[in-house]
Amino acid sequence: MTDIKHHAYLFDATRCIDCRACMVACSVENNIDMDKTRIWVAGLGVTGEYPILQRGTMVYHCMHCEHPDCMSACPVGAYTKAEDGPVTYNPDLCIGCRYCMNACPFGVPHFDYDKGIVDGAFIDKCTFCPQRIYNGQEPACVQTCPTDALEYGERDELIKRAHERIAAHPDRYIDHVYGEFENGGTSYLILSHVPFKDLGLPELPETPINEVSEKVMEMTIPFALGWGAVLTAVSAGVAAYDKKLALSKVEVKNGKSAEKKAEESK
Amino acid sequence: MKLNITLPKFLRIGTLPLVLILLMAIAAVVAFTRYAFGIGAISDLSYSYPWGFWISFDLFTGVVISSGGFLMAGTVYILRIKEFEPLLRPSVLTAFLGYIMVAVALLVDLGQPLRIWYMMIHWNHTSVLLEIGICVMSYLTVLAIEFSPVVLERFPKLHKAAHLIHRYIMPFVILGVVLSTLHQSSLGSLLLIQPQKLHPLWWTPILPILFFASAISVGLSMIILESSLSSRYFQRGLETHLLAKLAKALPIALGVYLVLKFGELAIAGDLGYLFTSGIMSLLFWAEILIGVLIPMIWFSIEKNRTSPNALLTGAIITLLGLILNRFNVSWFAVKHPDPLFYVPTFMGNVDYFPTFPEVAVSIGIFSAGIMAFGLLAKYFPVFEAEHHHVEEVHETVHGLHPAPTPGDD
Repeated sequence: MTDIKHHAYLFDATRCIDCRACMVACSVENNIDMDKTRIWVAGLGVTGEYPILQRGTMVYHCMHCEHPDCMSACPVGAYTKAEDGPVTYNPDLCIGCRYCMNACPFGVPHFDYDKGIVDGAFIDKCTFCPQRIYNGQEPACVQTCPTDALEYGERDELIKRAHERIAAHPDRYIDHVYGEFENGGTSYLILSHVPFKDLGLPELPETPINEVSEKVMEMTIPFALGWGAVLTAVSAGVAAYDKKLALSKVEVKNGKSAEKKAEESK
Repeated sequence: MKLNITLPKFLRIGTLPLVLILLMAIAAVVAFTRYAFGIGAISDLSYSYPWGFWISFDLFTGVVISSGGFLMAGTVYILRIKEFEPLLRPSVLTAFLGYIMVAVALLVDLGQPLRIWYMMIHWNHTSVLLEIGICVMSYLTVLAIEFSPVVLERFPKLHKAAHLIHRYIMPFVILGVVLSTLHQSSLGSLLLIQPQKLHPLWWTPILPILFFASAISVGLSMIILESSLSSRYFQRGLETHLLAKLAKALPIALGVYLVLKFGELAIAGDLGYLFTSGIMSLLFWAEILIGVLIPMIWFSIEKNRTSPNALLTGAIITLLGLILNRFNVSWFAVKHPDPLFYVPTFMGNVDYFPTFPEVAVSIGIFSAGIMAFGLLAKYFPVFEAEHHHVEEVHETVHGLHPAPTPGDD
């Protein structure tokens, strides 16, 4: 059992030492190959200009968006967003179209490109370790992290903690918590000492990016009905006009022939 | 030395069918490899590029070049412009085969091809792809109904059924036009969810409207192309006077598209990208020039509308340009997350270029479509001459055995 109402992660890029223990933990916990872990670490190399040089590391992970684009895009509804945070994927529904990979602005979902039709090729992504968090434990990656670069907890508290940390060390951090508002908010929050763009994170608006396509989708049924009604009316109108035209032609013909007959009889 | 081999009659086939069969065989081998060892075994698709050549060519191009079917069905049945009737059946057949090709290609592209029918029962109403799936499946059924009289007329015993379908065709025609409008435009909506990936020259909230507008021009060009080619291959007459009318409509349809496209860019304030985005600007201008401006001028000249060769050339130019638009939107102008995101991972591949087997699958499926068109056109009354002949037969049959109609006591 857990008291947390909205599960979330906080990643502090200044604390990560690139040890990659989280990747091993993820691999062990979820029984997946090391080259397919759901969390992955990128050394960014040395950034900045001499003499102020810094080495950065970024830990990529499903952002567990508040308005997940993968879920919005999936045609068969294989994704669900739990009220308490996690975005999960159901392989029993997946048809393998890979639209979620296109839709995700963070490029999170992976696909089994090496699986044939017998094994079945599925999507894989972070599940937020439900078997752990709902039993009062931290997710595997967080528990393993030796430097507390990854933290786990209540989303509001983590945001508060992040802002406190920025306030305490304004020289060390960029004054922004990535994921607080991006894409309508995410449940994986990031603190950084280098611009977020350098960490490979996209610049996203505060409104969910699936808003436009969802609005268009809402208009589909009314549009279809309206357009169908218009077409029915047009075809009925044209048919009636055609009939009238044909009738008047017949009348003209009859009229003419009557006149002719009259002339002949004269 | 001269080889003198006499083949049995059924083995004597022309060069074109032989080439098509070879291409299909190659595609079959590639598809087998894909089903056995996975999509990665034959394609360059990756985590960064989940959609590539297959989606751009098979789905985006395949659907748009099939738009002639609903245009002609709407013209002949809804607007009752009967003179276009000779173009109706070939267009419906092109559309029918086009959508079958789309469906077959998706069976190669999907990770779980056996679950394609899941779209019919598991609905996520916010998904654009679901709308396309449902529309394509329903429209395929509508096209089968619209085309069925051609097959039924071939068999004297089934004339009654053909007559029945012909009689109640209107609801299906209207449904077909609605479904086509929906999914032709929704292909554009597919990209609405990736504003940060698609270049601003192409990403706009009116993408669905632009897609529908250009689909009309593609449909008209496709009818010209398909009529011209089949008239050459089957050595039958060409309905130049009808094609000329379609060609006259093209500059108008393209003009509307052009105004929409540039109007949107101006309103969104993206006109600057027209000259500052390097290769993207180039691709944009290429698509506008080849697909819109040149055809508008070409088909505005009356001489070009009356000459079969000029009609064919113009149609091919238009198609190339507008298909480039589909490739731009679904592939060339799509930039997936910063390479940095993937560099240290197994995701590696950040540049996508289609492999030979990938292209071979699409070409094989396309060849099968051409082959099917040829066979159907050869053995079924698809073209005008046969049509009238059959109508006559049809009439006489009905004259001999009057069918009981309701209220005919």
